[in-house]
Amino acid sequence: MFKIALKDLKLFRADKRAMLLTFLLPIPLITLFSLAFGGMGSSSGSKAMILIAADEDKTPTSKRILQQLDSLKEIDIKLTGLDTAKNWVRKGDEDAVLILHKGLKDSLDAGKEMPIELVYDKAKQVQMGLYMSVLSGNLMRIVGTKSMEKKAMNRFDSQNPGMDSAMKAGVHQMIASNFDGGSGADGKTANSDGGAILKATAMEAQKENAPGLVQAVAGTAVMMLLFSVAGLGASLLQEKEEGTLKKLLFAPLSPQSILFGKMISANLISIVQMVVMFSFSWLVFGLNIKQNIPALILMILATAFACSGFGVFLASFAKSRAQVQGLTTLIVLTMSAIGGSMIPAFVMPLWMQKMAVVSVNYWSIQGFYDIFWRVLPVTDPVFLSRVGVLFLIGLVLNLLAIRMYKKNILNIA
Amino acid sequence: MIKVENITKSYADVVALTGVSFEIKQGEFYGLLGPNGAGKTTTISILSTILKPDSGSVIIDGFELSKNPEQCKRSIGVVTQEIALYNKLSAYENLLFWGSLYNVPDAGLKKRIEETLQLFGLADRQKDKIETYSGGMKRRINIASALLHRPKVLFMDEPTVGIDPQSRNLIFEVLEKLHTDGMTIIYTTHYMEEAERFCDRIGIIDKGTIIAQGTLAELKSTGGIKESIAVTFTNLNEDLQLKLKEALLGDFHFSKQILTYYSAQIRTDLSKLILRCNELGAEISNIEIQKVNLETVFLALTGKQLRD
Repeated sequence: MFKIALKDLKLFRADKRAMLLTFLLPIPLITLFSLAFGGMGSSSGSKAMILIAADEDKTPTSKRILQQLDSLKEIDIKLTGLDTAKNWVRKGDEDAVLILHKGLKDSLDAGKEMPIELVYDKAKQVQMGLYMSVLSGNLMRIVGTKSMEKKAMNRFDSQNPGMDSAMKAGVHQMIASNFDGGSGADGKTANSDGGAILKATAMEAQKENAPGLVQAVAGTAVMMLLFSVAGLGASLLQEKEEGTLKKLLFAPLSPQSILFGKMISANLISIVQMVVMFSFSWLVFGLNIKQNIPALILMILATAFACSGFGVFLASFAKSRAQVQGLTTLIVLTMSAIGGSMIPAFVMPLWMQKMAVVSVNYWSIQGFYDIFWRVLPVTDPVFLSRVGVLFLIGLVLNLLAIRMYKKNILNIA
Repeated sequence: MIKVENITKSYADVVALTGVSFEIKQGEFYGLLGPNGAGKTTTISILSTILKPDSGSVIIDGFELSKNPEQCKRSIGVVTQEIALYNKLSAYENLLFWGSLYNVPDAGLKKRIEETLQLFGLADRQKDKIETYSGGMKRRINIASALLHRPKVLFMDEPTVGIDPQSRNLIFEVLEKLHTDGMTIIYTTHYMEEAERFCDRIGIIDKGTIIAQGTLAELKSTGGIKESIAVTFTNLNEDLQLKLKEALLGDFHFSKQILTYYSAQIRTDLSKLILRCNELGAEISNIEIQKVNLETVFLALTGKQLRD
């Protein structure tokens, strides 16, 4: 098994062109995507919005605001505790959390600044823009006029401290009736002040690694790795076509050990390819790969295992190298498109985001976001779950490869 | 050394072997001949452990193949018809890899590689990649790679197809040496002269069964195959043919302008035949004596040329 793996590595090393393509081809792509996504966060997108909310005020006023927001067709409010919500955002499970801080009612009554905050994952600024555009207008309609009405009354009271209370009440009534007339159901009261009602705070976990860079490096790395391992897997079919597989079967080896040898070499080359790509990103683009080395190693191993499993599976499934080439192009490009290698998953429609979970790319890219952007520790359950999914994908693909290898490849006599 | 008893093999609805049996002694050079599709490759595939027979038994070097395939694999070396080498690796790297699969200790293996490269006249090219080799050189390395673990039995499936005379001669020299050293060799070929030159015994397989086997002399006497005289006439017509048929005794036949006369005493019958032809006014343009060889035996037994 190890002899087969060693031989494959020697063959790989001997084929200078293949080696250059494996290690150097991803670099211009990483560069291209890094430059393209580097400033990401100012673009826009669209999708149905589920908004997590935390009610710290817990007053009838705060409840009414949330109910009104929930009644809007653009927003579906899901209430949870503040810590849980922040944790979800920090881990990338949710895009943002709307927090109604304690003292909301008092501030509203006093005409002070509204303690309403939208905390969001800075890696998802696209969604943030959408949330802000929807929330600002509606919050202005719901609470903004009340706040302005209070501000006007307070200003009047401070400018006319000697006025008797009966007269003040009359003026207040006039002010209130003016604002009532302006806050119709058509929501036209929303104005430029609306933004002031909602404070937006990015949950910024790690400042060194721009999310665009993480996206570019991880997305390209996984996509290119899938292409590389498909080629490595095809070497099994090459052995079959050139007669060396038959010759290997004459030797005192179990047929499975030949496949396992291929798996080992595919894994090792995958690991080296990932290391080269991340090292390049570190040296050229300053991606801080040293901030969580254990997690990085684990994610590289998991990604390499899943991707090499894909390559070996493909080789066992296909019946010729031409089939492998065709299937590789089709499957890798599809997985890369839906999995977020080409464009970030979060800017895609919701149905595509749901489909993304079937791709290796998605789990791996999210894992690298965990490391470089969300800065989750290696022991974090969310991070470990992504690692687990990748190992599971690899395991399933390898098991399928073993099964198909017996049926398709060993039938050579 | 090898005992094959009544092995059968079918692929879907195609019967490849209907019951093949033969025995090969240690040190014997055994030729397995047969037309294409006769069952040679299936037999070799079963003996070399990559195909399981439907029934029957095979014993190699005292080990039952179905029970001890690993042990049998250690006893055999296989030279396939296709050149199964890694083109991007050097000859030395190829040999090191193939030898290592048989767990030959490193030091011993390196020494054997050196010796084998010398034997095949490729020591000075050992560091060159296989892709730079000629077809004949590749074929030499292909054979060398099957010898590094010193197998007791060597299966060779047409090892000299499409190679230059120099490589062919080198391979022949190696085959003679291996035979002299006592290696048991099973050899398939389409070249009659190779089989006649090397094989102690020959098995002829056709339609999935061994139809004849023995030494060359034994095969020649199989089925009473005789030598023949082929006489070509310039004026053979129906009338002359009729006269010759009446005048000649024994086994003969006509084909176009040629009379083929079979004889067990070729020298005596030749002069009689010429004399009789002259008496009947037949003008002879050519006379050819056709001796019994493997080709004629093969043709007589299978109805096909060896290279069909």
